Amino acid sequence: MNILKLLADLAEVDPTLYARLSSRRAVFAPLSQLGRTAALAALPLAVGTAIMPAQARDIRTILDSLNLALTLEYLESEFYARALGLVAGAPGVPTNFFPTGTRLAIETIYRHEQQHVRFLERIIVASGGTPPAKPRFDFTGSKNSTQPAVFADVFTNFDTFLQVAQTLEDAGVRAYKGQAGFLQTDNSLLEAALRIHSVEARHASHIRSMRRARGANVKNWVSASDTSVAVPGKTDAVYAGEELVNQFIAGLRQVPFDQAPLNTVVTVAKVAEAFDEPISATTAAALVGLFTY
Amino acid sequence: MHMNSTSFTRLFSARPVRRRTFFRVAGATAASSALVFAGCAKDDETPEVTPEQAFTLGTGDTGLLNYAYLLEQLEAAFYDKVVAAPPADMPATELAYFTDMRDHEVIHREFFKFALGTSAIGTATFNFSSFTLTTRAGVLTAAQTLEDLGVAAYNGAGKLFADPVYLGLAGKIASVEARHAALVRDLLLPNSFAAAEVVANTGGEFDGLDAAKTPVQVLAVVNTFLNITISAASLPS
Repeated sequence: MNILKLLADLAEVDPTLYARLSSRRAVFAPLSQLGRTAALAALPLAVGTAIMPAQARDIRTILDSLNLALTLEYLESEFYARALGLVAGAPGVPTNFFPTGTRLAIETIYRHEQQHVRFLERIIVASGGTPPAKPRFDFTGSKNSTQPAVFADVFTNFDTFLQVAQTLEDAGVRAYKGQAGFLQTDNSLLEAALRIHSVEARHASHIRSMRRARGANVKNWVSASDTSVAVPGKTDAVYAGEELVNQFIAGLRQVPFDQAPLNTVVTVAKVAEAFDEPISATTAAALVGLFTY
Repeated sequence: MHMNSTSFTRLFSARPVRRRTFFRVAGATAASSALVFAGCAKDDETPEVTPEQAFTLGTGDTGLLNYAYLLEQLEAAFYDKVVAAPPADMPATELAYFTDMRDHEVIHREFFKFALGTSAIGTATFNFSSFTLTTRAGVLTAAQTLEDLGVAAYNGAGKLFADPVYLGLAGKIASVEARHAALVRDLLLPNSFAAAEVVANTGGEFDGLDAAKTPVQVLAVVNTFLNITISAASLPS
């Protein structure tokens, strides 16, 4: 049995197969240390585990990806709109919520999110779909006061607001990245998604600068040195896996950053910073779910 | 290692040349021939490989990986130069950001070099004389130009990859470039992280979307930093 040929064929059917196998590096890493028989016994198991979600996702279409993207944009757009006091009926933010010099950037980011909403609504309709309904949002995470809040002071404490903003923007970058493979059959949609993806990354970088200016220990890129904003059990999925140092190229070949000679040329401690990682649609949807009811 | 001639002869004649040994011998012959050819080139008889040929990007995904490798070489060389001789008016905090960005670009460069293996183009030499690298403002302007170019290049190249693995990897790098771009923009002009010159805001259908550039558009800029002209002709489009 030609395992590599099988993987290549499967990857044609499911473009995310390699990525999922890569995320199972813990299974693959020890293979080189095992005997041949043990390796062959372990491999189908690893491949099988990676394939199973593919079968479940065979029904995943371009429209599913666009609907997820639109839901994320509804979330971000509504979040900034509420902070800017633009949502009728929502509790108003306190006077002077925005410290001097900070409102303009949030207005810019809000405008982009609104533009993304309109863009995605338009292409979903043009693709024959129906845009999903905008969810009801509760950015405190209390699900309309039916459970303890996660971010009780999100619209009264500017630092909490920025923490949630960073969480949403970093998650947005990862979510778009996770959907790119599903759009590969449509060049114009893929390119549009990539162009939104990099705007979200610009937002994330700017929000991180705003937080650093207010004393937070955070870089513009996701770094192990950042003081975490993840709330355990709630938002840790936003950063889980970003510490990845192992990258895999075609043919499941690992780039040996931490071995000679590469480790004499690169700063191994910064490899994780240099690559942003994707998240799956399931993880993205679960994160959205924290703020909806 | 010392080996006397008697034992060498016995060893060599005692068994037939195995396939692997044969290829090694054949390889040695080929290498010798190459040396001979290299000698000939000095007589102006054999045409020399032009620099342009040494930087032929190739076709398909390999060509695109070389294209990305060239871009990362450009960015890494730029940051290397800045970090080695920072402008006097650049504060230490900003130099630390530049050191991080240099390290990221070196990682990206080495990543593509590894992925390409023997298909990798050579190491390019860049000329940054069109930039003013002796002042903070000049360095930030240059960094903004290169980072915005990198973002637009990845945004335009994503759809050209055939292998989804490379689409995914390009995406992992593209957002880090966008984080860089936003930082250097904000350092140069506060709140310019996604200014209208990069993120459309014209009332048109692509409002809110970042720039995307074709390899032809990107290489036209990259070539201004090179003493040779690298062509996008072989790349997918």
